Amino acid sequence: MISLRAASAATLGCVLFAVCAFSAQEPSSSPPRSVWDGVYTEDQSKRGEPLYKKECAACHGDMLTGGESAPPLTGGAFLANWNGLTVGDLFDRIRKTMPQTAPGRLTRQQDADILAFLLSVNKFPSGKTELYRQSEMLKEIRFESKRPVEKK
Amino acid sequence: MHDRKSFRLHLGLLCTAALGILSPPSAQSQSKNTEWPSYAADLAGTRYRPLDQINATNFSELEIAWRIKTDNFGDRPEYKLEGTPLVVNGVLYATAGSRRAIIALDPGTGELLWIHGEHEGKRGGAAPRQLSGRGLAYWSDGKEERILYVTPGYRLICLNAKNGVPVTSFGTGGVVDLKLDDDQDIFPDLTTGEIGIQSAPVVAGDTVIIGAAFREGMTPRSMRNNKGYVRGFDVRSGKRLWIFHTIPKKGELGYDTWDKGSAEYTGNTGVWTQITVDKELGLVYLPVESPTSDFYGGHRPGNNLFGESLVCVDLKTGQRKWHFQLVHHPLWDMDISSAPILADITVDGKQIKAVAQPSKQGFLYVFDRVTGNPVWPIPEKLVEVGNVPGETYSATQPIPSKPPAYSRNGVSLDDLIDFTPALHDRAKEIASKYHLGPVFTPPTVSKLEGPLGTLTIGTASGGTNWPGGSYDPETHIAYIYACNACVEPIGLVIAPKEVSDINYIAGTAGQEVSILRGPGENAGADSPMPPKKRSSSQYVPMNVDGLPLMKPPYGTISAISLDTGEILWQIAHGETPDVVRNYPALKGLNIPRTGQETYNVGTLVTKTLIIAGEGQITTTSDHPRGAMLRAYDKKTGKEVGAVYMPAPQTGSPMTFMHNGKQYIVVAVSGGPYSGEYIAYALPSESE
Repeated sequence: MISLRAASAATLGCVLFAVCAFSAQEPSSSPPRSVWDGVYTEDQSKRGEPLYKKECAACHGDMLTGGESAPPLTGGAFLANWNGLTVGDLFDRIRKTMPQTAPGRLTRQQDADILAFLLSVNKFPSGKTELYRQSEMLKEIRFESKRPVEKK
Repeated sequence: MHDRKSFRLHLGLLCTAALGILSPPSAQSQSKNTEWPSYAADLAGTRYRPLDQINATNFSELEIAWRIKTDNFGDRPEYKLEGTPLVVNGVLYATAGSRRAIIALDPGTGELLWIHGEHEGKRGGAAPRQLSGRGLAYWSDGKEERILYVTPGYRLICLNAKNGVPVTSFGTGGVVDLKLDDDQDIFPDLTTGEIGIQSAPVVAGDTVIIGAAFREGMTPRSMRNNKGYVRGFDVRSGKRLWIFHTIPKKGELGYDTWDKGSAEYTGNTGVWTQITVDKELGLVYLPVESPTSDFYGGHRPGNNLFGESLVCVDLKTGQRKWHFQLVHHPLWDMDISSAPILADITVDGKQIKAVAQPSKQGFLYVFDRVTGNPVWPIPEKLVEVGNVPGETYSATQPIPSKPPAYSRNGVSLDDLIDFTPALHDRAKEIASKYHLGPVFTPPTVSKLEGPLGTLTIGTASGGTNWPGGSYDPETHIAYIYACNACVEPIGLVIAPKEVSDINYIAGTAGQEVSILRGPGENAGADSPMPPKKRSSSQYVPMNVDGLPLMKPPYGTISAISLDTGEILWQIAHGETPDVVRNYPALKGLNIPRTGQETYNVGTLVTKTLIIAGEGQITTTSDHPRGAMLRAYDKKTGKEVGAVYMPAPQTGSPMTFMHNGKQYIVVAVSGGPYSGEYIAYALPSESE
């Protein structure tokens, strides 16, 4: 047993208050791209599918409908959770906390491939370039649940 | 054997003794109904406090009094904060963070008074129910004050409420290893043996009562599992006082409801949700979950008592007094998922001490809590019998005659989205791949040519889940949230022998068989090779372009009179989802507020209000992306105010008075937002 009861109030302040920043950034007001602009490729989505099955389906379900303890990754609740943020925010969430048993175990490429698969199942169109692997770049892609009027 | 790998972290008594906050101050002493001393406010499961400083005239003026993120109460942030804090004697206690730490806060400022965490190593990492859990328990004899909680690794911890230091006279050094002395050998070993719990302990008198939970039961690896017995412990010593065998042992009542000796090896059947106690009568009400294998019972023929039964036992001995099985031979994951509610009601002029049980299947089962007799008849009705090979079925199920179902519990074509004929047609196309029917329509084997399964609602995640209902003891009205659109396709596939020794587990034809896990569960079973893969374009969504498959309302709050058994009002709870409001084909249609398809919303009842947060994020012209904490007039259901939250409500709200001020505390998290407790109060000038 380790007891740290003698910690000072100053230490407590550090423990408690210094670390509570919310990481999601405000999306820029006029980002150049959104998930409707073909931000991943079909091949990338196909690479992501078996990874999803192996790493994610156990909690989120083989049809991405979620389980008792994990949210769905398709449908209105999922889209609402991320609508107005960026693909980078979603990517960071995956990087930071998934798979839950060993967060960060997957490579950036694997996470990007899984994300491409999620986008494909949610009917966002594929394109000619693969999804970026760096969250800073992915934060330039807006996650919009609604297809913009001016887009096809 | 004690788990020697654990060690503890205390940051107790950090600056609080000097401030004099920890000793129960007489000036701050409140009558009990202004505190929140147990998970559901009281042992009766009401979630009721007769406070009215916050009321219809000022609810929208609420502002954040304090807030505390839980990121650092564990080695990783948590995005599923489900706790409801307690407030007793001027201190707020809560579970927090991925460590399931216990924190004590100043209720008026949120200042941290002490923290306690248990580092359980592999045992915690292997636990079936991880993260911060739903809460803790408080006990006092007027002199000593104690906090009790269960770690993810299933160890009951007793702390001194004044400083967070373990009470060494309790158990072994303040710990009772719940994997021991359980009338069974937890297999395969104490470190990895599957059993745990995420709900708050219940303390009644000097007895602390603990149930058990397991990993999700849709895809079990085996028909054999540990059993979820319920035990009572002495709150002073930690000594076991009694045990109730939720799966009867040979010679006990109910053993003969398990044919072919299946009571010997079948497990689960725990009480993972909140337990209710009538201290005056000395009776405990146990809401029991499903036996091993949620959707296939071929290895446990018979009715399977006390699976999915409400069981009343003696507080002092654990002896069964009465029981009522809500679902015979369970096949739908209709765990009794929330606290039974104690209600003293008057029916046709007769006073009845009743217990009311909300359910996933949208029925409110009401019994005389002394005798177990239904207040209104609950006749056995014939139900569909399925044809899954090896399965046995109960030909009848008990269906309450009153109150009427307060949420959908079956799926027909008439229930499908019909904003436009085109949307209805697309929903019908999805539904055509499934078997449909009313409540208790059994699961099917999943076939590529159809049906892929039974399309159900009011099963695993529908109706009322762990947040439960709430109840006003003055008016005898229950207020219950329910998901009215949480569809659950239940298909069964043959389990590859490498995956499970059960004949059938949940799955979808053509899909790789996956073992479903609970949060953070550390069991990484490799999936076998799939029989046949489909491309992502062949996924059958349970929505139409993101729109819910079902008609609104998607989520409701119902007011149900327990004197008359009638639904007095029902409202849609929650802003219409973005995907509906922004759907181009719906532009110009007048769609009333739909509510949201979330299943984990808890309600709070005050003197005049029903208060509940939204379970989904929306972005509207009235507020940026976020969710609203809403208040309704409890007489009419009319909304009377709302206040913004940065993320959805994920733990049920509670309220209390502190230094003359009423507070409402709610846990929020989800999506990109990690767990946070937020306390709301009126601006000083509004009091």
